[in-house]
Amino acid sequence: MKPVIDPALHTAILAAVERVINRALALAPDSAAGLDALSDCVFAVHCTAPPLDVYLQPGAGKVRLMGIYEGPVTTSVRGVASDFAELASAKDPASTLINGCIELKGDSAPLIELQKIIAALQIDWEAPLVDTLGDVAGHQLAQLLRGAYGWGRQASTGLGRQLEEFIHEEARLSPPRLELEDFYRDVQQLGLRVERLQSRTQRLRKRLQQLRG
Amino acid sequence: MSDKNTTHFGYKEVDTQAKASMVAEVFHSVASRYDLMNDLMSAGIHRVWKRFTIELSGVRRGNAVLDIAGGTGDLAARFAEIVGPTGRVVLADINDSMLKVGRDKLLDNGLLGNLEFVQADAQSLPFPDDSFDCVTIAFGLRNVTDKDAALRSMLRVLKPGGRLLVLEFSKPANPLLSKAYDTYSFKVLPLMGRLVANDAESYQYLAESIRMHPDQETLKEMMEDAGFSRCEFHNMTGGVVALHKGVKA
Repeated sequence: MKPVIDPALHTAILAAVERVINRALALAPDSAAGLDALSDCVFAVHCTAPPLDVYLQPGAGKVRLMGIYEGPVTTSVRGVASDFAELASAKDPASTLINGCIELKGDSAPLIELQKIIAALQIDWEAPLVDTLGDVAGHQLAQLLRGAYGWGRQASTGLGRQLEEFIHEEARLSPPRLELEDFYRDVQQLGLRVERLQSRTQRLRKRLQQLRG
Repeated sequence: MSDKNTTHFGYKEVDTQAKASMVAEVFHSVASRYDLMNDLMSAGIHRVWKRFTIELSGVRRGNAVLDIAGGTGDLAARFAEIVGPTGRVVLADINDSMLKVGRDKLLDNGLLGNLEFVQADAQSLPFPDDSFDCVTIAFGLRNVTDKDAALRSMLRVLKPGGRLLVLEFSKPANPLLSKAYDTYSFKVLPLMGRLVANDAESYQYLAESIRMHPDQETLKEMMEDAGFSRCEFHNMTGGVVALHKGVKA
């Protein structure tokens, strides 16, 4: 599929994204090493909304992104952008691929391997800070940033939990998840019982007609 | 062209034999500041155009690639990485000044082993038939005196199934863009050339030679006439630049 936007713009966007990814990979040596094993693979990502085709080729510690690729593709996936975001962050990529809305062609094993590398990306932010500011200042700043990040993450998790509790338990604006699941289960059982009763009624009516006839 | 023995050099009609040396003078003059001027004139977009050329080339590990009018080696450097140690990249340019700048740049960047540097005329390429998987010529065809002969020569050195990619300035599709582009080419470019490279005339020639170059459809027909199959072109940046692709059947 040809790019729907000007090829120069499409290529510029891919070049910028590739640069960011490769910059991140340069700071994550473990992930970069994992990519070497996939160096013979080409992954095609066909995004239908927004319409965009991207071909990803892992190499020696970096990736190459292309808008056009005419050679053989190892794995091809098709879906909307949100499906790909879900896959990229999934804890169980195989299950997401099977149960999700993504259409997959080719070998799924290298794709799952790639997803694991992306999910396990551990960027060493200290390295560029130390390179720029020196050992002492760089390390101090990195520790400060790490602490701020950890506190921010904890605070956001705590806030989310408290907000959820308030909505479900205090204000009763929305039923708790377990309560809702119980309700759905009851509705499902009721539906099944109604169906069984309907079949039984039909059977009895048929039998009555036979006895009359 | 008014006479069979004359051709255009920018807007000037010059003797066919003289054009090559006049073009050579232009490139001797701009060689040392070629990369800087390219970045300034295109605001760096020439790198995006070249990147798209590499994508469309479909070059893979182990391929043999010929980059004609390769200049300072932007395409050759990337091709050398892609084809790897089992591949071969030939950077060819008719102008020895450009070739020297390109060779020094690539060697300084640690690129060697699968790279060769050849001073060659695109009209009569010094390579055996069926030698390359891909031939590229970026911003070079408009400077060639006999473009048809050059296209036939490129076809000859390509392997069957091999691709030719011609990246060249072309005709913008939008009249408004065309007007703005004309103003930029004839007012800003020579001024930039004078200020940065101290050479307004060479950049005046650049603007004129772009206007004299065949448009997208004409170049596609020329490629078909030379014997290429499946010819197509992709306009970039509104048609300011077009990338033509043809395959040797």
